[in-house]
Parts: sequence; structure tokens; C-alpha cells
Amino acid sequence: MIILGIFLWVLLSALIAMLLKERSSIFTKVSSLITLIAIILYSVVRFSSGYTGGFVSQTNIALSQSVGIYFSTGVSGFADSLLILTGIIFAAAAFVTDKKLYPSSMFMMIMLTEAGMVGLLISRNFLFFYAFWELVLVPVYFIIGKFGGSRKDSVSLKFFVYTHIASIFMLLSIFALYSYYDLQYGVLTFQMNSLLQAMQNATFTSALPEVAKYFILFGFVFAFLVKLPSFPVHAWLADSYEQAPYPGTIILAGALSAMGGYGLFGIIFPFGRLIGTAGLDILVGLGLISISYFALTAMFQQSLKRMMAYASAASMGFVTLAFASSFLDPVKSENALIVASGGMFQIATHGIIMLLVFASIYYILIKTGSDRIPSLGGIYRDAPFLSTLLLGGLLASLGLPGLAGFVGEFSIIVGSFQTIGYWIFLLVFGMLITASYHIWAAQKALYGPYNEKLGKISDVSGGPLAMLLLIFTIILILGIFPVLFFGPIQAYAGGII
Amino acid sequence: MDFAVWFIFLSPLLASPIALVTGMRKIRLAGIISSASIAISFILSGYVYLTIGSSTIHESYSWFANLSYGVYVDHLAVVMVLMVSFVSLMIHLFATYYMKEDPKKHVYFAETALFTSAMLGVILSSNLVILFLFWEIVGLCSYLLIGFWYFKPNAASAAKKAFIVTRVGDMSLIIGLAILYSSLSGTYADPLSIPTLIGNAPAVAALIGPGKLALVTIFILGGAIGKSAQFPLHVWIPDAMEGPTTVSALIHAATMVTAGVYLIARIFPLFLDSASFSLYVVAFIGAFTAIYSGTLAWVMNDVKRVLAYSTISQIGYMMAALGIGGIIGSAGVSLALYQLVVHAFFKALLFLSAGAILIALMDLRDLREMGGLWRRMPWTVSLMFIGAITLAGIPPAAGFFSKGAIVDASWSYYVSSGYNAAHILPWAFLAFGEFFTAFYTFRMFSMLALGKPRSYLAEHARDPPKYALIPLMALAVLALIFGLFQTSFYKYLDSGYVAFSAPLMQEVLVYVLIAVGVIAGISVGTGNRWKKLDTTGNSAYKVLKNKYYLDKLFTNLVALRGILPLSAAFSGFEYRYNSANESTGHDVVRLGSALRKIQSGIIENYFIVLVLIAAIIFLLVEIIGGSL
Repeated sequence: MIILGIFLWVLLSALIAMLLKERSSIFTKVSSLITLIAIILYSVVRFSSGYTGGFVSQTNIALSQSVGIYFSTGVSGFADSLLILTGIIFAAAAFVTDKKLYPSSMFMMIMLTEAGMVGLLISRNFLFFYAFWELVLVPVYFIIGKFGGSRKDSVSLKFFVYTHIASIFMLLSIFALYSYYDLQYGVLTFQMNSLLQAMQNATFTSALPEVAKYFILFGFVFAFLVKLPSFPVHAWLADSYEQAPYPGTIILAGALSAMGGYGLFGIIFPFGRLIGTAGLDILVGLGLISISYFALTAMFQQSLKRMMAYASAASMGFVTLAFASSFLDPVKSENALIVASGGMFQIATHGIIMLLVFASIYYILIKTGSDRIPSLGGIYRDAPFLSTLLLGGLLASLGLPGLAGFVGEFSIIVGSFQTIGYWIFLLVFGMLITASYHIWAAQKALYGPYNEKLGKISDVSGGPLAMLLLIFTIILILGIFPVLFFGPIQAYAGGII
Repeated sequence: MDFAVWFIFLSPLLASPIALVTGMRKIRLAGIISSASIAISFILSGYVYLTIGSSTIHESYSWFANLSYGVYVDHLAVVMVLMVSFVSLMIHLFATYYMKEDPKKHVYFAETALFTSAMLGVILSSNLVILFLFWEIVGLCSYLLIGFWYFKPNAASAAKKAFIVTRVGDMSLIIGLAILYSSLSGTYADPLSIPTLIGNAPAVAALIGPGKLALVTIFILGGAIGKSAQFPLHVWIPDAMEGPTTVSALIHAATMVTAGVYLIARIFPLFLDSASFSLYVVAFIGAFTAIYSGTLAWVMNDVKRVLAYSTISQIGYMMAALGIGGIIGSAGVSLALYQLVVHAFFKALLFLSAGAILIALMDLRDLREMGGLWRRMPWTVSLMFIGAITLAGIPPAAGFFSKGAIVDASWSYYVSSGYNAAHILPWAFLAFGEFFTAFYTFRMFSMLALGKPRSYLAEHARDPPKYALIPLMALAVLALIFGLFQTSFYKYLDSGYVAFSAPLMQEVLVYVLIAVGVIAGISVGTGNRWKKLDTTGNSAYKVLKNKYYLDKLFTNLVALRGILPLSAAFSGFEYRYNSANESTGHDVVRLGSALRKIQSGIIENYFIVLVLIAAIIFLLVEIIGGSL
């Protein structure tokens, strides 16, 4: 019930933020912080010890029993790590949103997105899962459309339509699964536990027509791949990240990017094996292509924001790869366990890393008036803290050991070798390109002679500095004690594999 | 928990942020804190040396999944931590003088403490993942320190080059670890634990297969090549001279380039039990690098670059020593480690004395502008002379013994291979490498120290204060007398060590080569002929000046003509793909002319439709639900 309380609190905060007008900024900051603290306390209570996989905090509130609509909650070790991520991202997003620049509706939409995210992560009923999945889109659409850059109209529409089409497929899959469950068992239910159990049941799946089985799988996988995003369904990504205002980018890259991964590992993971070898091979391929393709594309970008948008997509390639290679034969269960856990860990930490990167770039934009690499240069001289923190974010993003990004990538690499074999060269090629452009960007933007055109700039201090330092500390702690997230995640993965 | 062992690397690790933060308030304290923390490391290393006896210390705890973290100490690790902490301490002490004017020296000392700590971590790690973690932190610190004078464009670009080139090696290492992990997980509870791997090397080889294990070791060697600047990944190290000279000393002597050699020595049983070509590759690459960079060092006119190439070449001797262990057993580790320790002493000495000279010459690094410094800076240059004779391998300095033993062993390697022609190459490269080493060392030294000053700065150079030279004197003494401990050193690492000997002819040949090299070096360095070489278009000289065009190959061909156009092509495709996506969307909109009103882009309309559809679906579901 605690988690339900947290969810309702976030939902309520969104309403209050809308009503408050003048004070919505401070209210949102405080309430998102309270949410974060509540989530952390909840996690400590539920997951610090004694968690052995499966779901905790299960509640079912029957709304329409005859058609199987319940408001059901349940939190797995993986969902919990994403809940913490969500808490961090939205607290930070609320913090960096300057009330002088944005009206109170912005704060309402931030809280509404958080409500959608929390709801999505705790829902164990497909109908509500879908509702929250869509609920997240709407405020983000408005954030881009109202406060975005020069091409905000077309980009926000593209973002909405693109992701919405994908979600429709998922909805159809849900309905198909719902109907076939009814056909076989004569029970109407949207309850995830029942439907997922059926999909793991050989008698149920063998009675499914092949077409229906693949239709269901396709709908889910397609929706999640678009959301990740994976090559080739990523066309919404770069524009949305670039055109969104920075708080929006932080939400997109930090929290929303976890949705696709949560779909893969949190929803369809129990029956992922049904995708079949051919389908899984394709997914492995898409993951590998994503890593190298986005890395090469990112290398050529002049805008730090757009470059990191592609970098974010490239690290999501690891997630696709991890998901698919945890089922491919002839994987040993140890390897499958580490690759799946690594994939989930990657999803959770990627959000925090992107938060640090985009927040630092935002402050660079505020201080210097530019976030394009060619118009920066040598800013370390006047802004050593800000530059160092951005460098920290970049290093985490390229997977430097000691920082959180490494743990996921390393687990995925060592765990997937058995399935991808010497395609690993493509993988490390992508990682090498990733390292190159990250370091190259740091060299051009932060080091070298000072670009005198920027005039006098100041360093971050006070609250923003403390926030960035705190985020970096979280990344460092997760890099050194990964087991904080990895433990519950591994327990969850172990319960399924 | 064995606190002494853990605090060997924890002490500088904890000191690093403390030095940074206190340095912001009181900048003088930073150097003291860092140096003190490394002194603690050295004392603890000494304590472990005295107490370890013939046992090993192994402690490990679960890190995540089935990977663990912990410490593993045997004689090999003890020797390394003693060397690293001692040499790093000497460099830190000198740096308190060298960096005393720098406004960011608290950052410098925080970074060097972290650097030392990371290297000590590499040595003590009981697990290859943790070793890799520290390995990368070593790389990070070198990146930060090479680019320490960030405002210099050369420094920023050299730092980038160092990071990316070593990263190439690291990726190779990570592939090796991936193969090792995926083959061993399930069989061993802790598949990347070093004691497990080296304790069960034959079983591991049987499980993976000697051929595949050889592949693993070659991937791991790739990582070592990157970090230890061996051919062909040595290109970062001459550029890395843009950092402060004390950083160069750290990188070259104590905290970075030896990591690769140590990695191979650490998991040497895996190399031994894999198919024999893996160690031959090690031997060949080492020996080839030794002579390759020896030929490059003598055309360099930058004093630090000469030293940089000499490092590459001397590390080549260590690699070769490890590789020739393929036939003569694990003695390769002792030979390599002795050379490593001796090299650390004299290379730190050479770099620190070069640093003292650069301060006196206002950071002038061009040998052509020096000359006659022995008379003007007698203390510094005399210390440098001790470093030079050790580098050149002239008795009684320790370099004579360390390299002589390796060259002798490489002859035995040839003999025990049954006079296989391919196995004479290491000996040939190493023996002629001795000539080049003596040659470039004495060319550099005589251009610097002998003759008449060739610039105003050189004329007015003065010794630094004597107290600043104390660390150098300590290093010089060790470089001179360490030859005495040769046999006991070998025995400490490998109790069954038997000395190698080569036939008299080969021995004499090596002495002659060294002597000829010294004479040639002095005559070239004091004469005027080297001046002409720069202006006459001698084609062989041009090839050397351009470093065999390998740098050009990497930067021009691979990076500028390979990766960058590829990236341009991909982002061009991405741009078109994006527009194609958008125009498909627009076409769909145009097609649906009947729905023109709805597609007005007003989001409220979309929502009305969405809600309506949802309502219809619910209604349907409700009806079906009711009928059941």
C-alpha cells in the first residue's frame, strides 16, 4: 500500500501544482523531493534485504471484475530501481526548471509525467499499464510543443504520432492476448500475472494460432523498440531531444528512455523466449547496429545536445542486445543471468548518467549562451567545476569503470559473448567510436584555448553545483557498489530465468 | 581483513579528494598530503614485504553477479608495490619543487595521488574485473594529467590521443575478458578471479582449449600493448610529453606503462599453458618494439621525446623477456620484472633531471638549443649521466645486468627452440637494440651536456637547490647499485631460477655493440653532422623523422579518411532517413483528405478521437463481459 500512497501523492501534486499558479515552482521542487525520499525509504524497507525475486507490494482493487479490470500494483526489483531513477530524474527536472522562464503549467506537466511514470512502473494490470504508457506521452508532448525550440510544432507532433502508433500496436496485442485468454480459460482478465503466466504455459501458447502469437509478440516488441529507441524506429528521437526545452530533454533522456527497456525486461521478459531464434537474432542485430550506427552518427553532430541524444540511443542498443541474448541458445544460465541483469542495470543507470550530462549542458548553455561544440572552447578556464562535472558525465556515458555506466556494459559484453561470438568486434568498434567522440567533444568544448567570443562566464555555484555533485556522487556510488541496484535486479532476473 | 595490504592503495585514494579540497583553501598542503599518503603506501609495502614470507595473501568479497573484488598479494605484487610506491614518492617529492609555482597544483597532486593509487590497485587486485577498473582509472588519470595544461592545444589533443589509443587496447582486453568469462562461468564460482585462473591454468586451458586460450591471451596482450606503448599502439606516448615533466616521469617509470607488463606477468600461467604461439607473439612484439623505437629515438631533437622512445624500447625488453619465457619456463617473469624495476629507477631519474633542466631553461626542450650544460648544472647533469649509463647498459650500472640477462636468455630461447630460424629474431632485435639504445642515449646526452651552449638560456642555466635533488640522488644510488641484487631478485620471484648464459661470442658481440653505440652517439652528438641531416633531404632520415609514417597512418588514414567520412556518411543517411520519415507522415496526412478536418494539428481533436475510441472499446468489452 505504501507504493500506492506514493503514486497518489504524485498524482495529487500534479493537481496542486496546477492550482497553485504562483508557488507551483517551489511546491513541485518540494513535492518531487518528498517523492524521491519516499521512494528511497520504500526501497530500503522492501528491497534492502530479504528480496528473492518476484513482486512485492501486490494489491488488487477490483474495478470491474466481470471484464477483469483491476487496479493492481506490484513492484519487482527491477521496477524499484526504475522508481528510484524516476524519483531522481523528476526531482532534478523540477529543480533545473527556472520559474522565471516557465509558467506553472510546466510544473504541473512535470508532475503529471512523473505520475504517469510511477503508475506505469507499479501497474500489474495491462489496461492501466497502457493508460499510464499513454499518459506519459501527453504532458511531454505539451512540454515540447509549448516550450520547445524553433521547430517545436512539427517535432512535437512527430514525437506524439510516432510513439503513439507504436503504442496502438501494443494495445492491439493486449486485446488479442485478452481475447485468447478468454477463449481458452473462459475468464476475462487484464491482470498481468494471469496473462503472463498463460504466455509461459506451453498448452496455452501451443493452442494459440501462430499468427496470433507473432502478432502479440510483435505489438509489444515494436512498441518497446520505438520507445527505447532502437534502429530503425528511432526517427523521433534526435529531433525531440534537441527541440525539447532542457527540463524536457532531461525527462525524455532520463526517465522516458527507461520505458522501452522496462517493457522489454519488466513486461515481456517471462515469455521472451517465444520470439524464437530468428526473431531474437534480429533483435541482437538491431542492438549491435544501434550501438555502432548511433555512435557514428553522434560523432558528426555539432550540437552537444543532439550528440548526446544519439549517445543515449547507442547505449540503449546494449539493452536490446542484452534482452535478446539472454534467451538465445546455447546460453549457460550464468551468462543469461548476468546479461539480463546487466541490461536492466544499464537501463536504470543510463537515465542517471544522461541526467548529469544534459543538466551540465543546460548550465553551460545558461552560462555561455551556447550548447554547440564549435562555439564553445576552453571553458574549463572560467568554469572548472561545470567542465569537470560534464566531463564526469561524458566519462560515465562512455562506460568508464568506477562509474555506473561500466557495470551494465561490462555485464552485457561478457554475458553476450556466447551468443554473439566474434560480432563482439562490431560492439567494441561502437564503444571505441563512443569513447572517441565523447573525448573529442570534451577536448573541443572544454579544453584548449579559451574562446574569447564567449566573453566573461561564471562557474556554477550553490544549488546547481550541489545538485550536479550529488548526481555525480550517485553515479560514482552505483559504479563502485553496483550491488545496490544489481542485487534486486539479479534476484528478479533469477526468478525468471 | 589485512589492513596493511588494503591501505597500500586506499591511502592515496583517500588522500586524493582530501588534497583537492584542502588545496582549495591552503594550496601548499596538497603536495604534502599526497606525498605523505604515498609514503604511507611505501611503508605499508615494506611491512608486507617483511611479513609475507613465502605465503600469499588473498581476500575477496562479492562485487556483483559472480564477480568479486579483493586483494591478492604474492612476491610479484610485493615487488611491484614496493617499486611503484617508492618511485612515485620520489617523483612526488620532486614535484613539490617542480610544480611550486603552478596555480592549480592542488588539482595536480590530487590527480597524481589518484594515479598512484590506481596503479597500486592494478597490482593488488585479485580479480581481472577490478584490475580492469583500476586499469581504466590509470588511463583516465593519464588523460587528465597529460592535458593538465589544458589551455595548450597540443596538450588537449595529446591527452585525447592517449585516451583513445589506449582505449583501443582496452577494448581488446575486454574481448579477452569476455571470452574468458563466458567460457568459465558456471565451472568456476568466480570466473575472473586471478588466483583461480593462475592456480588452475592447466584446467582452464583444457576447458577452453589451448588454441582458443592463446587467442584470449593475445587479446589480453592487446590491452597490455596499448597501456605499455608497444608497437603499434605506442603512438600516444611521444605526444604525451606535453604534460608536466613529473607526469611523464610517473607515466614512464611508475604508474602506467609498466601496467601492461605486470598484467602479462600476473596471469603468466595462462600464457604458458596456451598454445605456444601466444608467447611467441609476446616475444616478437617486444623485441621488435625494442629495436623499432630505438631507431626512432636518435632522430628526435626534443629531450623528452628521446626519453619517451627510450621507454617504449626498454618496455620492449620486458615484453620480450616475458615472451621468451615460453620455452625457458616462468623465469621470463623474473627477467622482465628486474628490468622493470631497474627501468623505473633510471627512467624516473632521467625524467626528473630533465625536469630540473627544463625549469632552468624555461621549458626549452630542443636539444639543438642546449649544449654545455654539464659545466653549468653539474649536479643535475651528473645525475642524468648516471641515468644515461644505466639506460645504455654500461657497467657497473644496473641496466647492464638487467638487459644483459634478457639478451642472454633470448639466445637460450633460440637454442632451445632447436635453432629454429624464427626464434633467432628476438635475440637479433634485442642485441642490436642495445646498440641503438647506447647510440641515442649518448647522442642525447652529449648534445645536452657537452660542447658549448647554443642558446642564451643554456648559457645561463643553473642547478636547482640541492634539496630538490635529493629524490634524484636516491634514485641514482639505486640505479647504480641495484645490479648487486640481481640474483637474489630473481630468486625472490622464482625460487628455481637458474641463470642463463650465452656463448662468449654472442656476449662479446653485445659488448661491442654497446661500445660502438656509445662512441657513435658521442661523436654524432658533439659533432656538427646532425645539423646537416635536418636540411639535406636524406630519404631514410625523412622516414625516421616521420616515425615510419605510422602516426600519419593512424591519424590521416584511419581517423580522417576512414572513421570521419564513415561518420559523415552515416549522419547523412540519418538525416535523409529522418526526412523520409517525416515526409511519409505528411503523405499520409495528404492522402486522408476526407479526414482533413481532424488532422488539423489541434491536439484537442486527437484527444476527442482517442477518448471516443477508448469509450467504444470499453463499451464493447462491457457488453461482451455482460453476455458471458
